[in-house]
Amino acid sequence: MTWDWSYAVEIVPNLMVGVWYTILVTLASSAIALIGGLLLAILEIASTRLGRTFVRFWLELARGVPILILLYFTFYVLPQLGITIPAIPIGIGVLGVVYAAYCSEVYRGSLITIPTELRDACVALNLSQYVTWQRVLVPLMIKRAVPALLNYVLGLFRETAMLFAIGVPVLMGEAQVAGNESFRFLEPFTLAGIIYMAMNLPFLYLLSRYKDKHA
Amino acid sequence: MLSAAEFSHSRPFVPEAATEAHGVAPKSKHAKWAIEFERISKFFGAHRVLVDLDLQVQPGEKVTLIGPSGSGKTTVLRLAMTLEKPTGGDIRIFGESILFDSAGKPLSTSQEARIRRRCGMVFQQFNLFPHLTVLQNLVLAPTTVLRQSKEQAENTALEYLRMVGLEGKVHAYPAQLSGGQQQRIAIARALILKPEILLLDEITSALDPELAGEVLDVVRGVAHETKVTLLIVTHEMRFAREVSDRIAVFDAGRIIEQGSPDKIFSYPECDRTRAFLQSVLNH
Amino acid sequence: MEAVLEYWPVLIQGLWVTVWVSSCIILGAALGAIMLGVLRVSRTGVIRVLSMVFIECIRGPSALVLLFWVFYALPLLPGMPQLSPLAAAILVLALDGAVYGAEIVRAGIEAVNRGQADACHALGLSRFQSFTKVVLPQALSQIVPAFGSLARGMIKWTSIVSFIGVQDILYVANNVRAQTFETTIVFCLLAVLYWILTVLCGLVFRELEQVLPLNRALRAARAPSAYAPAGAAQ
Ligand SMILES: Nc1ncnc2c1ncn2[C@@H]1O[C@H](COP(=O)(O)OP(=O)(O)O)[C@@H](O)[C@H]1O
Ligand SMILES: [Mg+2]
Repeated sequence: MTWDWSYAVEIVPNLMVGVWYTILVTLASSAIALIGGLLLAILEIASTRLGRTFVRFWLELARGVPILILLYFTFYVLPQLGITIPAIPIGIGVLGVVYAAYCSEVYRGSLITIPTELRDACVALNLSQYVTWQRVLVPLMIKRAVPALLNYVLGLFRETAMLFAIGVPVLMGEAQVAGNESFRFLEPFTLAGIIYMAMNLPFLYLLSRYKDKHA
Repeated sequence: MLSAAEFSHSRPFVPEAATEAHGVAPKSKHAKWAIEFERISKFFGAHRVLVDLDLQVQPGEKVTLIGPSGSGKTTVLRLAMTLEKPTGGDIRIFGESILFDSAGKPLSTSQEARIRRRCGMVFQQFNLFPHLTVLQNLVLAPTTVLRQSKEQAENTALEYLRMVGLEGKVHAYPAQLSGGQQQRIAIARALILKPEILLLDEITSALDPELAGEVLDVVRGVAHETKVTLLIVTHEMRFAREVSDRIAVFDAGRIIEQGSPDKIFSYPECDRTRAFLQSVLNH
Repeated sequence: MEAVLEYWPVLIQGLWVTVWVSSCIILGAALGAIMLGVLRVSRTGVIRVLSMVFIECIRGPSALVLLFWVFYALPLLPGMPQLSPLAAAILVLALDGAVYGAEIVRAGIEAVNRGQADACHALGLSRFQSFTKVVLPQALSQIVPAFGSLARGMIKWTSIVSFIGVQDILYVANNVRAQTFETTIVFCLLAVLYWILTVLCGLVFRELEQVLPLNRALRAARAPSAYAPAGAAQ
């Protein structure tokens, strides 16, 4: 079996649908991860024992259980409880929630490296707790966290392929459907691999620019 | 701490012994210079660090390089140790180039390794191996490079430890020693390979003044008791005066003046030398 | 619950496959990571760039896409072998681990003080001896903890091998679910099992950290005066 160009061209539109969904899922779950992670980090730092235990549990879950299991769990168990959610929101939600846990670690790490003198200065200026966090600590924390967060968003993007398991038409899913329909796997999977690789480039560009600027 | 009597017990560092040990080609025995820099220039990128430098050192001679920081002294020692390659010029050790073979081609790794074995170096930051004990630090090179048996290497190592007055620290790790002790170990580690040329790069600069003395004592012992050729970079002017046969003054990548310690310290010719000596001595 | 546990022999077998695949890919990744990491800091520019491109090409498409490609598409190219599911799974996941690990190894090597390699050179050690006896043993103190969390992640990666028919714990559990309809219990059991495996893996690496030469040395230095200067002639 050799490479069939006409077939390859024929499936490109389908794959492009997959690309579109991949972008959609990546953007949506990144938003959840980045914002949720920040909230989790603040919750862990600023709150009670209960809040901290909750965040710890969340983190352990993300670190110790494969995304695939979490996807299956939400996808198959929720309907049994009478809750029916389409696959795409489930995929976005699970990815977002798992990566929120990772991101919270990054935020927390970058908060720890903010010198204590700065907090002292805020106290000395009689800034309220709220203002201290909103205007000083959180912006600084985000700025320091950018490269690590970007790496996690890249990781999240790569894991979107996993969502084909519950039927989300991401690029990987579209490639598989195309392959199954025609019993030709060479072209769809090769094209999908190349497109995935190409979609890495913007991330690598951003990361390298960030490194250049701060090296 | 390190009496002459102690020294006489330990191995002599005579070049003959070293020559025997490493099977050096006979012609080099008659070489006029232990080490010879010929029109050396060195660039780091566009930054010129050494400018057509010429320097010759006789076998057994003790030469000290002084000069303001950034003037290229460390670079000279690193070039001699083949830690850097010059941009132009040639360096010969006992008459043998450390850069080119007789046909003018760059030396192979093994040829270079053979020649560079005649040099040893002690660094400003000690560079002891932190994951190895003192004894392991000392026997690493003899067992891997000279292929000595572990037992033989350890016996020799103990002798050298005694020489630097640290036989009680055999199984300690570097992090358990004071800076002065670490540097003495580093000196022993270099000497154990019986180098004919020893390069010392500001070996007391990272030490508190009260610890510098014990390290300098060891070097004094080596300088007086052995025929090893010494190339020293130091800011300890009293020490330089005491051990050197000759002092070379560096400034901006050139040797601006050289001569006996008496001449340099008492009757410096260059204004820059005078200015430098004043700044160091007033410090 | 009992209905699911009745299937314990097959579940154990699936768990065993998961453990086995995990061990293989973690070991393979460790070896590959060191080799790639060394190439990554090579003195030759071309080797550095090529290894970087290779690394990006492997991790660019995720392990999942790579796995499907190696299993379904690769054999269709002339002269390429049809790998068994197990072989394809181990190959792809170990390779993926190796390229992520290579960056860890590179960072570890670069964190070792330049002076250490200089000292080796001055003592006449070859570059290979200097790497194996001095630089790597010290770099390991930074590499092992980071590789430990990568290894934890790699255990989770193995869940995708069921897609190409490797009968790991997920594959077996899915069958059990189809027969018992105990969806909730089966997935909870899976989550707990994977969690336990990753925790165990973390413990193993924690133990490994204890025996690294540099960590031993630093521990000895922190312990109060194990070396009183008994016979030191000062
Ligand atoms: N690896 C290097 N890369 C770039 N510049 C260097 C390097 N090593 C030394 N230099 C530069 O070379 C000059 C001479 O350095 P050095 O030989 O260390 O001087 P000294 O030992 O006399 O203080 C300095 O300006 C230093 O910045
Ligand atoms: Mg210097």
